[in-house]
Amino acid sequence: MGWLFVTFAAISEIVGVIGLKLFSTKKNLKTGALFLGGFGMSFFLLYQAFSYLQLSIAYAVWIGIGTAGAVVINMVFFGESRNGSRVFSLMLIIVGVIGLKLVS
Amino acid sequence: MNRYWIYVLITCALEMVWVFGFSTAQSAWHWALVILVIIIDFYFLAKACEGLPTGTVYAVFAGVGSIGTVLMDYFLFEGSIDLLKLFFIGVLVAGVIGLKLSDNKTEEGMQ
Repeated sequence: MGWLFVTFAAISEIVGVIGLKLFSTKKNLKTGALFLGGFGMSFFLLYQAFSYLQLSIAYAVWIGIGTAGAVVINMVFFGESRNGSRVFSLMLIIVGVIGLKLVS
Repeated sequence: MNRYWIYVLITCALEMVWVFGFSTAQSAWHWALVILVIIIDFYFLAKACEGLPTGTVYAVFAGVGSIGTVLMDYFLFEGSIDLLKLFFIGVLVAGVIGLKLSDNKTEEGMQ
């Protein structure tokens, strides 16, 4: 259950970041709701995850999936560079998340 | 040390406060305090990014947060810290810092 919460918390955070980007260029109800709703949801779900998982694991996985997800979205949809060092960093995050899942 | 690095220090300290608050808050006024700390935290995070590369600021923020939560688990919540867990947290954080710092190069490339 905790892993589900932390994964959705990270996804919500990415929604919030996209909302923030949109909101800073076009301030209306829709972009504002995406921005505040995304971050609000992210913190709520992270809090839920804390009651199932160890603090350090929940935090590291939250920040890891959030960072990796945002980078993958930027690579796929916004044509950001896919150089070797970034792909290597992504792989480190994936190894870290899977490893933590296995040992906890 | 310029003032933007002081903002980074403030944002890291506040981050530890709200993460701790999340684990311990019980009453409505505790929660009001936690939410206030989160808002102030993100205010200083944004301020720091005005004078420093965003990737660097986030890399420090993520690194300090991860080390801080490991220490909190160990000293405050009596959680078990085995070496394998520490290893995978370290690998994950190395990846996060690598990605954040590569954002700086992208920013420079655009300018």
